[in-house]
Amino acid sequence: MEKEQQKRAIEALLFLSEEPVKTDKVAAALSTTSVEAEKMIEELQEELSAQGRGLQIFEAAGGYQMGTRPDLSSFLEKAFSEEVSSNLSTAALEVLAIVAYKQPVTRIEIESIRGVRSQHVLDNLLKRKLIKISGRKEGPGRPLLYVTTADFLKYFGLKDLGELPELEVENEGAE
Amino acid sequence: MVEQAEYKIKLPTFEGPFDLLFHLIKKAEVDIWQVSIADITEQYLAYLQSMKELNLEIASEFLVMAATLLRLKSKLLLPRSPKFQEQDEEEELFEINTAEELFQRLEEYRAFKKAALHLRQKEEEQKKVFLRSTGGQKIMVFTQQESVYTIWEGAHHLSEIMQRFAKIAAQREYVPAFSAVEDFVIARKADYIYAVLRQKRRSVPMKDFVIESSLWEVIITFIALLEMSRQRKVNLLQDRPFEPILVSLIEKQPELFQPEEGESGERTAKESY
Repeated sequence: MEKEQQKRAIEALLFLSEEPVKTDKVAAALSTTSVEAEKMIEELQEELSAQGRGLQIFEAAGGYQMGTRPDLSSFLEKAFSEEVSSNLSTAALEVLAIVAYKQPVTRIEIESIRGVRSQHVLDNLLKRKLIKISGRKEGPGRPLLYVTTADFLKYFGLKDLGELPELEVENEGAE
Repeated sequence: MVEQAEYKIKLPTFEGPFDLLFHLIKKAEVDIWQVSIADITEQYLAYLQSMKELNLEIASEFLVMAATLLRLKSKLLLPRSPKFQEQDEEEELFEINTAEELFQRLEEYRAFKKAALHLRQKEEEQKKVFLRSTGGQKIMVFTQQESVYTIWEGAHHLSEIMQRFAKIAAQREYVPAFSAVEDFVIARKADYIYAVLRQKRRSVPMKDFVIESSLWEVIITFIALLEMSRQRKVNLLQDRPFEPILVSLIEKQPELFQPEEGESGERTAKESY
């Protein structure tokens, strides 16, 4: 396959996928190397933005995904109003933030930071698949450990956890 | 004071005692580390008081924090007896024994609150990006009968069925879904289905096995059929969702299930007693 054809195939592949696609999957489909595939995806990315198109390719949860440009949201909301989901609650975001930065983390650890019982919020986040149980902590009671999921990264449009800004704790005493 | 309740005071809601404390500190425009425990305790209690006057339910965490604050305040006021110091510290929700510890905890909470705010921003940004959702139309599911459903259809119909059941169930008196007689009833239903199929020697629609046509019985029949299908005793066939489910007997495979043929239903029933 020549290069232009391969790029067209990648465009079609990303268009069809509902989930972020990893470069090695693209590479395998095109029988090329991951490095080559990544290069072509980046080229496509630039072409779409240079031409001012309505679609964009962005990195999410360790792969690439095609989506619409943010500035078009007002039009799209009108057309697909019934599909717009509600935002997460403040409590849910607090718990997610704690899990994201402290993972793997137990419920007690989360509650001691928030000062509020959080089982209900955790259950809801589990249901939404934004967090998952990774195992149990060794020690008394062997409490469950929570970690964030790929869906978490996808939901917030994050490439990986490293993209989160550093936690700003002013340390007056010792941490 | 009592009359205050007459006014319509709108109280902001807080995620918890730390959230409230944090709000009070921000209002006082002081740094967390410069907070006067006495002042903050007073304000905190005042807030709880106004909640009480508005007849709002106060979560226990707020009260525990109030007690913690009062204890911290009393510690600062009273001369310490070195002998009993730190002796009576019990394990509690907050485990805060000094003002420094409180500040530290507040500081930590503040950091996560900020991180949560950042997530909120990312959420808003991401909300503006619409992703393709084919509803699984490209992914076909091939059943044994080679009828083709899309995943989307399956999920859609399942949710429709659930909604229907919920509606019917809501209209009826509550029937406990699981009871001790369940196994027994299912086994009896399975025996009945078996007898009918043997007699008719052709496929029979599922609804023919439902005699009283109560929701309860439909469920029992369905579960019995699933169980029989699992034991490879019957074949279940349905062309499309909501079409009749046709039940037919699977011809005997001697060595496979002859020994438990016919009796299995009754046996399970007895075992569960």
